Parts: sequence; structure tokens; C-alpha cells
Amino acid sequence: MSAAPSGDRALPPSAYARMGRVLWTGLVISLVLLAGAIVAELVEQPRAIYEGAESNPSRGYLTIDGLAAGLAAGAPVAYLTLGVLCLVATPFVRVAAGFYYFRRGGERTMAAITLIVLVLLLFGLLVLGPLVR
Amino acid sequence: MELLAFVLLLALAGVFAGLVGSLTGVGGAVVIIPVLVLAFGAPFPIAAGAGLVTVLATSATTGAVYVRRHLTDLRIGMFLEIATVPGALVGAALTVVLVRHDLNNALLVALGGVLLVVFASSLVRLQEPTAGDTRPDRRSVELGLSGVYHDEQLGRSVAYQAARTDPALGVSFGAGLISGMFGIGGGVFKVYALEHYLRLPMKVATATSNFMIGVTAAAGAGVLLAAGYVDPYVAAPAAIGTAVGAVAGSRLLPGLKNQTVRYVFLFVIAGLAIETVLRGLRLL
Repeated sequence: MSAAPSGDRALPPSAYARMGRVLWTGLVISLVLLAGAIVAELVEQPRAIYEGAESNPSRGYLTIDGLAAGLAAGAPVAYLTLGVLCLVATPFVRVAAGFYYFRRGGERTMAAITLIVLVLLLFGLLVLGPLVR
Repeated sequence: MELLAFVLLLALAGVFAGLVGSLTGVGGAVVIIPVLVLAFGAPFPIAAGAGLVTVLATSATTGAVYVRRHLTDLRIGMFLEIATVPGALVGAALTVVLVRHDLNNALLVALGGVLLVVFASSLVRLQEPTAGDTRPDRRSVELGLSGVYHDEQLGRSVAYQAARTDPALGVSFGAGLISGMFGIGGGVFKVYALEHYLRLPMKVATATSNFMIGVTAAAGAGVLLAAGYVDPYVAAPAAIGTAVGAVAGSRLLPGLKNQTVRYVFLFVIAGLAIETVLRGLRLL
């Protein structure tokens, strides 16, 4: 059995197991959504012509309201967008889990570093992206 | 092109990219982005957005294995993320701004240049294994940036302590900038920081870099997604194909004793890089 990195101040083994589960869960959810939505889109528009990427079909689903409406209406592109969002969100959850473990272990500096990383990730998605759109 | 044909071709290209990226160690995005631009005619920011989504998929696929084997140093990875994430945010925002100013071709030339650097770095890495002693700086000691892992090949535990954190943070910021700007994982640069400046063992450096790649890609992808440059029709088949190719490549890798195959694939990447530069210069 491998020893956990980080010597005396190692994270508990459960942290590594949980991080691994977060990765697999995020990946499986995303891939199921992406693959399912592609199949649904192909069934719905079997002879659709791809017009090029100039007009992004997911633009209408980049808000919570738009995405919820698309999901409720069963629009395949909304599910594709949700799959991509899940994939993007997986590392966010990993960082949040890291913050939880560092904080629980009483490591204030590492917890602060992890929190800053999480805030920066959220800043990019919620502030910087829409700002430069 | 019919959507079905487009999706199938893109997924196949993704499998090829994942396979080549895994066998050469440079990552699937380095292959899929020029393929998207050159073969599928995707605009640069859409290719970069799809590249970051493929990086997320492959990082999650291989990262889970590394984390479970306790090869990933989460502490060191998280410490360096404080530099790579701002780099990725700046890089992705810069790409959006440059595209707005109609500088797509300049970005393509720059992407080709970055791919050539990745190619050259990978050649050097295949030839020269890194070695050296560790002299930890004050920050490394204070934050406990050290660890122990069990090396199955050596049959013993190997201890390590991160060395020079300042230059590692600088290189990590640059790696994040390149990742966010061009949509690649930038693993070659992260591994360089981890091996050359922090003096981590190669296996820990590779696993920790894989963890960092996912978080950095999420930062860049978040900006490009919110800015409307992640097209799910392009990103989804590419990501699924690349993840499948990466898994196949990781299964093939242990049995692949001949380095020649890896060199051949590296030169395929160099060819794609040169074609990307020529496309950017409108010579192709």
C-alpha cells in the first residue's frame, strides 16, 4: 500500500479516496449527459447540417433560467450544455473538498490558499467570462 | 457536413488525439486543437474552448487513478494553483479580447509556436531524466511541502521535499496563461516546474501536474464558456473521443518499450504545429 504524500502533515487517506470519487462521479455524470444528448440530437435532427461554429447553439442556455427552461423542454443542446458544465464543475468540487480537509485539519494557510483558488475559479466563471463576452 | 458524420468524425479525431497525446505524454488537446482548426475549420476560440473541455475529461480520467494511488501531492498541487489559476483567467480573457480585435491569425501563429515548444520540451524530456538534490526554501518548510510515496519499481518508499517555490510559482503562472490562452493542458510546463524547481520525483510530478491541469483548465474553460466560446457540438464529441483515446493509450503505454513510436508521434505533433503556423500566416 502506498504511503500518502505530504509526510507528517498528510491529508487523511479518506481525503484521497473522496477526491478520486469526486473525479469519477463528475466524469461519469458529464459523459452520460454528453453522450445521451448527442444521441437525442441525432434522433431529433438526423440530417441536420452543421453550419460551422460561428453561432454557438448553447448561448441560450448559459443562464440558470435559460438552462432550466431548456432542460424542462427536453432540448438536447441544454443537456449537452449541462454535461459541459458538470465537467467544468468537477475541479471546482475537488478544490472545495481540499478546502474542507485543510480547514478540518487546522491548516489555516493551506485552507486560505485553497479558498483563494476556489474564489478565483468562481470569479472567472461568474464575473470575468460574462464581462468579456 | 451532416451532423452525424461531423460528430462521428470529430469523435474519431478525438480518439486519435487522446491516443497520441497519451503515448507522447503531451496530452490530447495539443493534437485535437490543430486538428479542429485545420481539418474541421473551427475558429480558434471554439477550438481552444473544446481543447479545455477535452483536458478536463482526460484529467478526470487519469487523475482519479493517480489520486487513488496516492501519487498526487494535493498540497503542492493546490499551492501552485494559486499561480496557475490567475494565469489561466488572464490567458482566456486575453484570447477573447484578441479575437474581438480580429487577431485570430496571430493567435494561430502563436499556438503553432507553443506547440513547437511543447514538442521540443517533450523530446528533451524523453532523453534526459531529471535528477538532483533538494534544498527546500523557507516557504516549502513552513507549508510542509514534502511527502513520501512508495515506488513499486524501486520496491521502497521515496521521500521528497519541495525546493525552490518562487521560480516554480512563476513558471506555473506562465503555464496557466498558456493553458487559458490556447486551450491546452500545459502539462509539459507544469512538470518542468515540479521537477526542475521543486525537485519532485518524476512520478509525483506527473501525477500532481495532472491534478493541476484539471483545475487550471476549469479556470480557462469557465471564462470561455461564460463568454460563449465553448460549443457543445464541438467540445462534447471531442472530449468523449479524447477520453477514450487517453484510456486506450494509458493501457498501451506499459507494453510500448520502443521509444521510436513515441518519437514518430511527436513528429506528427510538430507537423501539426507547422501547419498551424502556416495557416495563421495564410500560406496554407
